[in-house]
Amino acid sequence: MSEKIVKIKGSTDGLQLSFADGADFPSIEREIRAQLESGSGFFLRGTLVSLPDGALSSAERTELQKLFHAYGLILRTEKAAAAAAQFTGKKRSERPAPVPAAPANTDAQVQEMVVVNRTLRGGQEIRTESSVLVCGNVNPGAQIIAGGSIDIRGTCRGMVHAGAFGNTDAFVIADRLIPTQIRIADLVARAPDHMKPEEKAERASIRNGQIVIEPIER
Amino acid sequence: MSKIYVITSGKGGVGKTTTTANLGVGLAMRGKKVVLIDTDTGLRNLDLMLGLENRILYDLIDVTEGRVPYKKALVRHKKFDNLYLLPTSQVKDKTAVNPEQLVKLCEELRKEFEYILIDCPAGIEQGFKTAIAAADTALVVTMPEISAVRDADKIIGELGRADMKEIELIINRIRPQMVENGEMMDMEDINDILSIDVIGQVPDDIKVVTAANRGEPCVMSHDSEAGQAYRNIVGRLLGEKIPFMEFEKEGFWSRLKHVFGK
Repeated sequence: MSEKIVKIKGSTDGLQLSFADGADFPSIEREIRAQLESGSGFFLRGTLVSLPDGALSSAERTELQKLFHAYGLILRTEKAAAAAAQFTGKKRSERPAPVPAAPANTDAQVQEMVVVNRTLRGGQEIRTESSVLVCGNVNPGAQIIAGGSIDIRGTCRGMVHAGAFGNTDAFVIADRLIPTQIRIADLVARAPDHMKPEEKAERASIRNGQIVIEPIER
Repeated sequence: MSKIYVITSGKGGVGKTTTTANLGVGLAMRGKKVVLIDTDTGLRNLDLMLGLENRILYDLIDVTEGRVPYKKALVRHKKFDNLYLLPTSQVKDKTAVNPEQLVKLCEELRKEFEYILIDCPAGIEQGFKTAIAAADTALVVTMPEISAVRDADKIIGELGRADMKEIELIINRIRPQMVENGEMMDMEDINDILSIDVIGQVPDDIKVVTAANRGEPCVMSHDSEAGQAYRNIVGRLLGEKIPFMEFEKEGFWSRLKHVFGK
């Protein structure tokens, strides 16, 4: 076993990468790619990945960002670097923990989005405080529970819950919206027992205290 | 390089064991050296399908626990001397074998056999995890029925989590007439949900049952539609390009009956 070029450490808000001294970018990239392809348990979808401050040029960071994005991970660059710099010498856990029930749209907070680049199959679940973008289908038996909104570029047949922590402005969009249930904030709508499928993309949101579904262009 | 396949489905009764027996015999008919491993400990059936029950001396558990070398537990097929079965125990349960033991055994079998087919138990518990541990490719068997498709979807998700790279689908027990009448999910509906490569479509055929009762899988009989479908799958496993067959919708006689208004 050779010495690892890329070291991965888990922290309270994601994964922190560090690189061996003098490692060149191609080998760093190669090793990260191998890790991602091996599908090791480290890289769950939607995980935040932070890089060490000043380790790479901005072009190289962009390159890595693309790579992680392809696997549904989010690479934080500037913000994470700044945060890491700010907290040098302190424990990371001293950062205030996110409050689940708080509305996510305060200006100071940058809202993040979880990107899922595959089909969610029966029994799989995405649970996050942010919004979710699925590039694939959500199959029956799968569920998404999101603090924000949910956008599905594909067919939604599973259970989707947008605004799960009380955000009544959240919505659900899908190319084909035929879920078993849609939940937004504290409201639940189930599919009618007999439904003729709509060919257009649709959007579900709350209006006058009810979940309303309407076709949209996109 | 030998290939290890696991035949799995999630739901019970969709035809995992039947498929394993037919593909095993089919590969043996093409002259390949094949071993079939039954991992459905406690509910073994593969030996019955092959008509080998009365020849079993030792089983998988005896091998994994080191009581006998695997060669002693292998049962040679009556007709094909390049086909072997490694039966499992009928008295133990799924906890008797763990994934590491099966991986180790398969590494040994690899030296001797070209094809290793593992018959997986139903469910997603330990038996499933053990069965898939050693395989290079998973063949997921499903039926045109929503519960079977739902379970296949779950299994494909689980296989993905277990890092199985190659997953292929066999749609079993298709009733062409029902599909035509819109009473059964068609191949497109299934593809829409599962979206993985289909390697076989097998019609529902009463000859499958009679063949199983005789202990001679229908792949051996040349007047069975299902047998032909299984031979096609075997061809595809061997890398041949074979188009999917058109199933006979309604027999000639029943059509004739319609003509005479009966």
